[in-house]
Amino acid sequence: MKRPTTWIVRVDLSTGKVDRTPVDDALNAAYLGGSGVGWRLMSDALAPGIDPLSPANIICINPGVLVGTLTPGTPKTTVITKFPTLASEDGKHFIGACTAGGRYLGIALKRAGCHHLLITGKAPRPSYLRIHDQTIELVDAAEYWGGGIEDVMIDLVEREGPESGTIVIGTSGENLVHEALTIVDRTNSLGRGGLGAVMGSKNLKAIVVNGTGDAELADPDAFIVASERMRDSIMEWPRREHWIDLGLAAGWDTFKHTQYPGVWPKDRWDELYGEKTRMETVENVIGCNSCILGCRLRWMTKGGQFDGEIGFGSPFSKSATSGMLLEIEDFRKVIHFVADANSRTGIDFYTVTRMIDFVTKMYEIGRLNAAQTGGLELSRDYETYQKLYEMTVHREGFGDVLADGWMRLKRDFGLDPQEYWYAGICKGVDFIYDARPSNFHPLMMTFTTRPRPHHGGSHTRTNSRNKTLEEIRDQVERWGLAKETIDRIFTESDYSGKFNVGRYTRYMEDMMRVKNAIGLCTIYTYQGLLFGDDIAELYSAASGQAMTALGMVECGERINNVAKMMNVREGFGRADDAVPEVWFRPMESPEGTIEMQDYYKTKVLTKEDTDRILDDYYDERGWDRGTGKPTPARLKALKIEEFASELTGT
Amino acid sequence: MKNRKTREVPGTLFVQAENCRGCRSCQLACSFAKHRVFNPAKSMITLERNLADGQTAPMIKPIGCDLCGGDPACAKACKYGAILYEAGPGKEKIVVRLLGKEES
Repeated sequence: MKRPTTWIVRVDLSTGKVDRTPVDDALNAAYLGGSGVGWRLMSDALAPGIDPLSPANIICINPGVLVGTLTPGTPKTTVITKFPTLASEDGKHFIGACTAGGRYLGIALKRAGCHHLLITGKAPRPSYLRIHDQTIELVDAAEYWGGGIEDVMIDLVEREGPESGTIVIGTSGENLVHEALTIVDRTNSLGRGGLGAVMGSKNLKAIVVNGTGDAELADPDAFIVASERMRDSIMEWPRREHWIDLGLAAGWDTFKHTQYPGVWPKDRWDELYGEKTRMETVENVIGCNSCILGCRLRWMTKGGQFDGEIGFGSPFSKSATSGMLLEIEDFRKVIHFVADANSRTGIDFYTVTRMIDFVTKMYEIGRLNAAQTGGLELSRDYETYQKLYEMTVHREGFGDVLADGWMRLKRDFGLDPQEYWYAGICKGVDFIYDARPSNFHPLMMTFTTRPRPHHGGSHTRTNSRNKTLEEIRDQVERWGLAKETIDRIFTESDYSGKFNVGRYTRYMEDMMRVKNAIGLCTIYTYQGLLFGDDIAELYSAASGQAMTALGMVECGERINNVAKMMNVREGFGRADDAVPEVWFRPMESPEGTIEMQDYYKTKVLTKEDTDRILDDYYDERGWDRGTGKPTPARLKALKIEEFASELTGT
Repeated sequence: MKNRKTREVPGTLFVQAENCRGCRSCQLACSFAKHRVFNPAKSMITLERNLADGQTAPMIKPIGCDLCGGDPACAKACKYGAILYEAGPGKEKIVVRLLGKEES
């Protein structure tokens, strides 16, 4: 069966030159397509050591292989770039992948034949990129520069048609704020770590895409039979009704335990931010392209100073955690920040609210003073939070420091991000979960081992609490892992508990590479609704390349190693994968002392324990435990020995 | 006017617009049923998109839709109850229930 032809589209914003070349079949076979191929292309195209905000950086946009087909939920587009977040004191920046769904973007890219869109250079003036099938042009965006995300998005869609997919940056991206992300199709955020600033540095306000082509399949008949069977089976999921009423807000019962920041008692949090307030605010749930669950929300605030404010996205988890950290009792005030970040400024709500929490507390205890903040007095009240938020977006005064992220606080004021009290910071990025209330499960591990510390597509069964060993084991069995591999994962130890988080994490990351390459939303694997064998069946029919689940995991491993090697050549090694220090400090809360324990809460974990878990992770990867880098032997086994020359000095 | 014929249809598609989540499964299922490809432009359905409130709604083209011979792919693909099919002789092929005006 013939694999459908896929295309690499290269756009140089400096010259306006556009180039289209088909992807070699062998490349698709080795890297699955989508972001898998995207990583390999980037490893050749992106020069090492460049400034992420220079014209030399590349934004590589890859709709998943199954995007634009009828599946249970494959809407995702994965973007690879070098991120401006300062990852270390010695000036390193990670190259990472971020992923987002949406109703229009991925399918439009696919239909326009942009399977891999590589954007480089810098537009001479503020511009947007207009793609309509093979017509790709840079359009003057003077009228949009300085505009809010939603206004620009609406204008572009009115101009280009209702099926237009969009990626738009806000004012923070224009101002090269390192926390600037982008918004896809109004509902989905994309690119924590500063993708918005990368676009801003290229004078690129937006990308608007329309396509008219088919999403081609090698074997449509086999595909539709498998896909419809899976769609029907997922309809039987008992939690679906609740889920499609509340979207991601339906997760409160788990969330209130796993993301508890320890400031208020849980019942108070429940009262202020729980399901009742959510039910009152949700207007409707929006599904991404082909998704039969739907988790994005359209919400409306009722009452208070933001009465009638409408927002799109998923505001509740964000607002609940930051609301407690900032001690704002009225959830509507926190949701306002989410709405504003998504519709206007494009700043990363998590990072900006947590940095505000950090600096206001540091000011309160005298570790930061008015001379350092440019005369600004920082108090723990909503007005100050609003002021700091706005100053960060515009890089005004002290906001310019916050706009450069956590590491600059350390450089300028000696405020070490490792002192921050919630969730922890790794490679300059604050995680959105904390391993103390969550326990040290594999997602926590991948936060430290991934080049870009964000969950982006990694969720598996172990993200929920109290899954049985049988459920966890069943998932990896259905990804086709060999019995001896599974036995290694499920060997009990005194440092990782009943299963080995380090060894498990390796495969979870490889599966993540697979999901991102094909465009599958991670909710389906998280909730145990789709497994590796399902995915292999769909992929085989779509691509014409007969694949087993294990074969896909092996491709995922290859992709992961390419991603790792790109970061090795930027100077990253074992020290950068360090577990955040805060996880070892007991959280004193009204609910008692909360310490980081293993998944089944059999013991409190120490630094020695997590070091051994990290050893096992590297070991399972066939990497060097001492350096945390791939070995020439492993690269050779993966048929990517060309990267071995970059391991010099290790 | 007395000679005008009212042809019976084998069933009726009800579009319950407010249930639409914008996932576009109906479009993909339709183009696949008609042409064995996934392409919204080749489907009999356009997706209305209200930019003021973000609401979407599937609009089925009456000319061209043949109800898939009595087993419409769009209704089968819609998992949110935005397109429902009722089999049995009827007078109208497609009935659109507007936002806020549904009977149920």
